[in-house]
Amino acid sequence: MEAFSVEIVTPIKILNQESVKYIRCPGIDGSFGIMKKHREGVFALDIGEIKIETNSETEWYSTSGGFVEIGSDKVELLLESVEKSNEIDVKRATEALERAKNRKSNPQEKIDSTRLEASLTRAMNRLRVSKK
Amino acid sequence: MASLKDIRDRIKSVKSIQKVTSAMKMVAAAKVRKAQEKMEQARPYTHALEDVIHHILPDIDRSILDLLEVRKIKRKAYVVVSADRGLAGAFNTNITKVAQKEIDEFGKDNVDLFCIGKKARDFFKRRNYNIIESHIEFWNDLDYDSAMMIGRSIVDHFTSGKVDEIHVVYNYFINLAQQEIKSEVLLPLVYDDKEVVSTDRLYEPSKEKLVSSLVPRHLNIQIWKYLLESYASEQAARMLAMENATTNAGDMIKSLTLEFNKARQAAITTEMLEIVSGAEALKE
Repeated sequence: MEAFSVEIVTPIKILNQESVKYIRCPGIDGSFGIMKKHREGVFALDIGEIKIETNSETEWYSTSGGFVEIGSDKVELLLESVEKSNEIDVKRATEALERAKNRKSNPQEKIDSTRLEASLTRAMNRLRVSKK
Repeated sequence: MASLKDIRDRIKSVKSIQKVTSAMKMVAAAKVRKAQEKMEQARPYTHALEDVIHHILPDIDRSILDLLEVRKIKRKAYVVVSADRGLAGAFNTNITKVAQKEIDEFGKDNVDLFCIGKKARDFFKRRNYNIIESHIEFWNDLDYDSAMMIGRSIVDHFTSGKVDEIHVVYNYFINLAQQEIKSEVLLPLVYDDKEVVSTDRLYEPSKEKLVSSLVPRHLNIQIWKYLLESYASEQAARMLAMENATTNAGDMIKSLTLEFNKARQAAITTEMLEIVSGAEALKE
């Protein structure tokens, strides 16, 4: 399988990954895969997990969304936040999940349900990816 | 005239103050560098994001984006970015002064406030301004999450129609010696039409959906930029203030030492006079 290079760009860091064979991304309308010679384009990403397969290993990342720009020779993932599966702060994610759950079960009047759902999804996603 | 002991004690205390100020200066210098690094790191992301938005915008109907909606301005919100701590020269005073002036010009009663940093919150709270939200004590571990959190509540305030325009007042970091207070319109967002080379790219799910998920992210990165600019400015201002304080302490030590020596010499002279006149008296 032909390999390509991937760049993960976030507001606070840039990660490079050479000789990638396959990426699976959480698209807004469902996840999709990218391999060499994928059609060029821009695809929006949702909260979810990103799987990157290189020649030697498979890595998992959790993200809170962004987009991916596929060019002729490289793939750029532009993400608002990204965490590698083994770098996720499980304690913080668990706390965030508990907080969100609590707020959901005791609804106060001034609560934004879409925001609550989003923080719930984010926390659950981070926990799930941390177990990979 | 102060006694020798008094002067010695003062020299001692000024010296220890000088130690503190010069340490604070060093810490501030390190923090400025860190903030500048963060600004550098955010640049590639910002460029890529703006690039994609500018590519898509000409092809879609802008009215679907509620963050771009220009309304008749009846009510405004101000985001005032200040620091949590003082000892940074006139940093906090200047920013609150400028913000207060602008707010009063529009009418205090028609302005909602988002206060970033303790100093702005305390200032406007004391004067009974209409504070919607204040974000404090996050500067020490400044991360992108705080920018997103602030971004979310500001966006909600705008899209729910509570205000028709949101301004941000912050310190723009020019260089270590210079910061400029700027007041900019944060919302509605304005995108100029740029000449773009159209490319045969695929946009998924659709251009409209893509851009409506990207525009809020663009706002977050702008808020991040404002936070970093202000943080760098705060630390630079503190560095300068502490540098001045250290120099002033040095001057003070110099003049106190002079005074100390004079006092000591005077004491010696008096003593000698006493001895000599005592000896003279004995002769007779």
